[in-house]
Amino acid sequence: MAILELRDLTKRFGATTAVDHFTLSVEKGEFVSLLGPSGCGKTTTLQMIAGFETPSGGSILLNGRDLRSVPARQRGLGIVFQTYALFPHMTVEENVGFGLEMRKVPGDERRRRIAAALDLVHLSHLSGRYPRQMSGGQRQRVALARALVIEPELLLLDEPLSNLDAKLREEMQLELRRIQQEAGVTTLLVTHDQSEAMALSDRIAVMQGGRLIQEASPFEAYDRPTNAFVSTFLGKSNAIDAHLEETRDDGAVLRCGDIRLAGPPSPARPGPVLISLRPERIELCDAAAAHVSGRVGERIFLGDQWLFKVETSLGELLVVRPNSGRREPEPGETVHLSWRTEHLRILAAEPAA
Amino acid sequence: MRRNGVFAKLFSLVFALFMLAPLVVVVGVSFTPEGFLEFPPSGISLRWFRAILDNPDFIDAAIVSLQLGVASATIATAICIPAALAIGGGRFPGRDALQALFLSPLTVPTVVLGIAFLRFLSTLGLNGTFWGLVFCHVVIIVPFVLRLVLASVVGLDPSIARAATSLGAPSLTVFRRITLPAIIPGVVGGWVLAFITSFDELTVTVFIVNPATTTLPVKLFSHITQTTDPLVASVSTVAILFTVALMLVVDRIYGLDRLLIGEGSH
Ligand SMILES: Nc1ncnc2c1ncn2[C@@H]1O[C@H](COP(=O)(O)OP(=O)(O)OP(=O)(O)O)[C@@H](O)[C@H]1O
Ligand SMILES: [Mg+2]
Repeated sequence: MAILELRDLTKRFGATTAVDHFTLSVEKGEFVSLLGPSGCGKTTTLQMIAGFETPSGGSILLNGRDLRSVPARQRGLGIVFQTYALFPHMTVEENVGFGLEMRKVPGDERRRRIAAALDLVHLSHLSGRYPRQMSGGQRQRVALARALVIEPELLLLDEPLSNLDAKLREEMQLELRRIQQEAGVTTLLVTHDQSEAMALSDRIAVMQGGRLIQEASPFEAYDRPTNAFVSTFLGKSNAIDAHLEETRDDGAVLRCGDIRLAGPPSPARPGPVLISLRPERIELCDAAAAHVSGRVGERIFLGDQWLFKVETSLGELLVVRPNSGRREPEPGETVHLSWRTEHLRILAAEPAA
Repeated sequence: MRRNGVFAKLFSLVFALFMLAPLVVVVGVSFTPEGFLEFPPSGISLRWFRAILDNPDFIDAAIVSLQLGVASATIATAICIPAALAIGGGRFPGRDALQALFLSPLTVPTVVLGIAFLRFLSTLGLNGTFWGLVFCHVVIIVPFVLRLVLASVVGLDPSIARAATSLGAPSLTVFRRITLPAIIPGVVGGWVLAFITSFDELTVTVFIVNPATTTLPVKLFSHITQTTDPLVASVSTVAILFTVALMLVVDRIYGLDRLLIGEGSH
């Protein structure tokens, strides 16, 4: 059964609609991410679930119970805020114990549960410190322990890693996943960072302009995006304007300018479409096998991989190749590109922007 | 940068001397053995400190001033905490008007305020009463308290209160356990500043006291218009010592520069 269900959730601030008929359900134990660009309504959605904003329409159900008339303090949710929101005048232990104190948990049990929560986030040795004496990553863990110690039915995380530097962020991603699984807590994460959403979640809900655009597993959302926005927001992608001439059971025929391309079978109707092609799915090949040829414009070294910008008659294509020590084409060189037909995604054309 | 630093230090030094010089003179004069104001004093004597004890008027006035300072600073602080939380907490209709209202006593010349209070209190029949004085002092010191409390409120992360709420705290508990402790440096700073402002307020008070509610500054002022004995100096020295002691205590607990510069949060 779904722990959390959002049905047509809507929030308007005056003339702007921050969240627009948003529907999503989260199953027990699941880790779901709300992913979208800045201003798409992620925080607003989370605040409505937490009870700090009143929905303009739609409903929120927790374990089948409508939360409309339940005040924030009685919802029993664990929340980690983007700023951590630790209580500055309380020690780590007092911070973590605050929720238990409010629940009138007796002293013995309280101490035991605080210790267990601090143990879970590997902070037992710092229980007497004040937040100002801790690093960003440590504060982050305290915030997590404070939210988890009340054993919430649902953990809400608002961009919990965005204040950390890149290296620490990666470490904390693994840490967060471990803690979530050990605690077995159903989690809803809000983030604008696609790699974070992919690394952490069982399921990603991609949001744009307050609406749900696609809901899928990370692999599916990346490999089979259902629209152009998702294909470019999750990872890099080449978006090529094309015309769908014909669809058959065994494939499609596409035309880009004077070039004809074979595509995978598609339910799309003939007419203007958008082709999405991941840069790492493009291979270098002989002139004879090439789908298209072009000249390397720019070459960027990224450590573990090379990024090429190749000028072709399909437009500029991004090509990514792993750095495996072999010789790579130089800027100015002519290269021949090919790909497997099934790696093309045929998407509805973007309405003229 | 460096030359600038030397210049700035020199400026601060001159400024500090300029500020301290009158105090040094007052304290110096208070130790004179003579019956008139002289500086530097021709000897060291506690004669004029003993004289305070023979003048119960001064002691009564000091007690009125202390009571007045404590009462008006406390009331002003109690008014300013919710006001600052509302003004600093976010936008709402009338927010700017409310803030302007609270700060408006700063913009009215104090003499004008004094005459206005005199008329107002006479109409209410409160002229010369202690609570009439308290009312006027609250109006005068509210802007000072509000500024300091507001500075800590503005530095406060609004999600802290939300975090406490989400952990199950009722709103009164959130205020008592989370919000108030987080803004306490501003609150204490505001109270102390308000107390000191009330304690030495003269311009307005002189219009509205009567003999039973004469405050220390008014008493000193009227004494000086009649005689010029060093009693005013010794009383002032005691007042200075008292203020310095108060400041030291607050500084030890909260750090004065943080309070007065308005760095509210930790
Ligand atoms: N209190 C408010 N009053 C008016 N408009 C608001 C309010 N809160 C949010 N909005 C608007 O609603 C939209 C969604 O805001 P929200 O904070 O939910 O975005 P977000 O997805 O969390 O963005 P970010 O990644 O930048 O945090 C924005 O256009 C924002 O300007
Ligand atoms: Mg946000």
